[in-house]
Amino acid sequence: MSHPSRRSLLLGALGAAAAGTLSACGARSTTPVTSGQVDLRIWTHDPGYVTTFTKAATDPAISGGSAFTFQPRITSAAPGDIVTRMIAQAVADGNTPDLAGVVIDQFPRVMGSAIAENLFVDLTDTVAPFGDDLLKLAPYEVGGKPYGLDSDNSITVLYYRQDVFAEHGVPEDVATWEEFAEHGERLARDRQISLGMVSVGDNGAIVNGYTQMLLQRGGEVFDESGALALDSPEAVEVLEFLAQGVRTGFLLALPDPYGSACAAALKSGRLAATAMPNWYNAYGLQANVPDQQGRWRMRTLPKFAGGGHLATTLGGTAFTVVKDKPATEAALEFLRRVYLTREGQVLRYHAGGYLPTLRPLYRDPDLLAVRDEYLGGQRVFDVYAAAADDLPLFHQAAGMQVLSAVLGGPVLDALKGRTSAHAAIQAGIAAYRQQVKR
Amino acid sequence: MSAPTLERPPTTASPATGQGSWWSRHQREAAPYAFVSPFFVLFGLFMAVPILVGLYLSCTEWAGLGTPEWVGLRNYADLLTDASFWTSVGNTALYVVFTLLVVVPAALLIAQALNARGLRGRDVFRLAFFMPVVISPIVITLVFGLFFDTEFGIVNGALKAVFGFGGIDWTGDPTWAKATVVILVLWRWTGYLTVFFLAGLQNVPRELHEAAAIDGAGPLRRFTSVTLPALKPVTAFVAVTVLVSTAQIFDEPFLLTQGGPGESTLSVAMFVYRAGFQRQQLGYAAAAGVVLFLVVVALGLLANRLLGVGRDSR
Repeated sequence: MSHPSRRSLLLGALGAAAAGTLSACGARSTTPVTSGQVDLRIWTHDPGYVTTFTKAATDPAISGGSAFTFQPRITSAAPGDIVTRMIAQAVADGNTPDLAGVVIDQFPRVMGSAIAENLFVDLTDTVAPFGDDLLKLAPYEVGGKPYGLDSDNSITVLYYRQDVFAEHGVPEDVATWEEFAEHGERLARDRQISLGMVSVGDNGAIVNGYTQMLLQRGGEVFDESGALALDSPEAVEVLEFLAQGVRTGFLLALPDPYGSACAAALKSGRLAATAMPNWYNAYGLQANVPDQQGRWRMRTLPKFAGGGHLATTLGGTAFTVVKDKPATEAALEFLRRVYLTREGQVLRYHAGGYLPTLRPLYRDPDLLAVRDEYLGGQRVFDVYAAAADDLPLFHQAAGMQVLSAVLGGPVLDALKGRTSAHAAIQAGIAAYRQQVKR
Repeated sequence: MSAPTLERPPTTASPATGQGSWWSRHQREAAPYAFVSPFFVLFGLFMAVPILVGLYLSCTEWAGLGTPEWVGLRNYADLLTDASFWTSVGNTALYVVFTLLVVVPAALLIAQALNARGLRGRDVFRLAFFMPVVISPIVITLVFGLFFDTEFGIVNGALKAVFGFGGIDWTGDPTWAKATVVILVLWRWTGYLTVFFLAGLQNVPRELHEAAAIDGAGPLRRFTSVTLPALKPVTAFVAVTVLVSTAQIFDEPFLLTQGGPGESTLSVAMFVYRAGFQRQQLGYAAAAGVVLFLVVVALGLLANRLLGVGRDSR
């Protein structure tokens, strides 16, 4: 038997490598998986979702009775990278995820040029049985069709230092923002204590903070059709209110609600109240001032005297199902089981503190019994339930990122007293129209 | 021991027919091309092709999915009327001018100081000046955010303690935000450039300084008449490198201010990033990228010619 030469061995190895490479470049199987064990590629930025999906896959109350055996394969990435890489992989016909967690301020990137329609499963039929009971679909709708299910209702409440309020005579049940601002002015003047904060860091933080209050007042950034709706009396009124609050010291101007400056404000006691969403309890208060456990409480927001809602919302992450993949059907079923069932929603709350998006859950005895030790054992769902009954809708549009960039500067100018609220809003609108004409 | 032979080694071509494989007949001529081909293949794949694709994309409208729509030169025309783009151009020009006029001279002076005879703890100083280059950008962001915070920042605290005022809105005021970014640039890159100058200074013959001193030249005269001319090649290299890299500045404004407040610290590279990866306007981003590329190449060539980089200084 003749032995192969070194040259033929090398050629053979090269040929095998080339064949492997070419076969890897070939078309992927698109035969749908209809039952049995299925690997679900999940991309997310938040470890809380890793816990949620991992537990859900093995929880008989959630995954039991399915034709599939779900095997989550989770990849962690930064919020912006998830969208960027998903689109890049889709263009290359590569390894897109089956389920992707898209942070709310990244979703506008897929709202234009039919990206959402081409990339994600239309969830209209999936959500239809729930009607108005399913909250927070609006930010993820394109052309009236939902493409993502939010993980968290992100209800904004008022966190406050009960001990400071008692010491300085601030009632815990103040009805309106205007009345609350009067107490804030007094405390700022006499004690250098503020009862709220505004973000003056990057444009995203500035606009998010402003939008949160605008929504509560009954205003909108974009309407349901995606048209800019910022040219309103509410938009000016809210910005005036915030600017006045900064001027008087009632509101503290901080770069963002999480960083070192905010931590310093909380630790030093200069910040004794703040309107922030539910997740701020864990990521803001407990992370920065764990030693203040038991001193903080939460309540629904004061209302604006001019009208609006009892609550508002800020932030969120929707999970989308990538269409036309072998595991698309399985991914959709897994998402439905984790996001649209009582068991799934309760698991999500316990795994990561994500508030239910199904309205009836706010009256669920198990959740109503939840007590938050950091908040002095307060029954938090008493507050969330009242707020969930009067939440504004938040609509987005493809131009949201543009608006955030061009509105941030003028809003900051108004907050710093360098321009009027009306001029700031008009400047933002004009810049937006100039940039989105493209 | 036999002497090495310079004869051509026998080939595998058939001596009877003079025929053989193509390679065996042409390997002498083709071998050099085979040896240099990896560079050209890689250059083509990872440089030429992306540049050509970028040029093509700059003439399209594309959100990343689907087929790019050909729009000709419309993206370039839109750039000319885009106020944000011109803001970013102005900011970038400011960063470039500051770097050339402040950072480079500062690096030279620090290098001169570090090169002084009898300096104790020279290595400690070198380490301290070089440290900012190797510190993680995330740490820099956190530290500078804490330093320059208006309410709780150390800088304002120090100003208040020493001078009695300290209400500077470092990152919230458009002018001060620019100043904060250039302070970060100064802090981050001066030490890095110092290393180049220090290497250059160590190659300046001591005899020249001694001869100048004997002729009665003082320290300043020796610096201007001996050190600077001797450092011309290094200075030219540093200036061109700094010019090209600062024209593409991204990290500092992105980390510190995200281009804000408003767009007052936005650089052209950030503008490109924002259009491409925050707004999915990939064609528009490509057009801005092409403009940036052309400007950087032109400036680099101009500076190269003016400063004579790579030419013999004699």
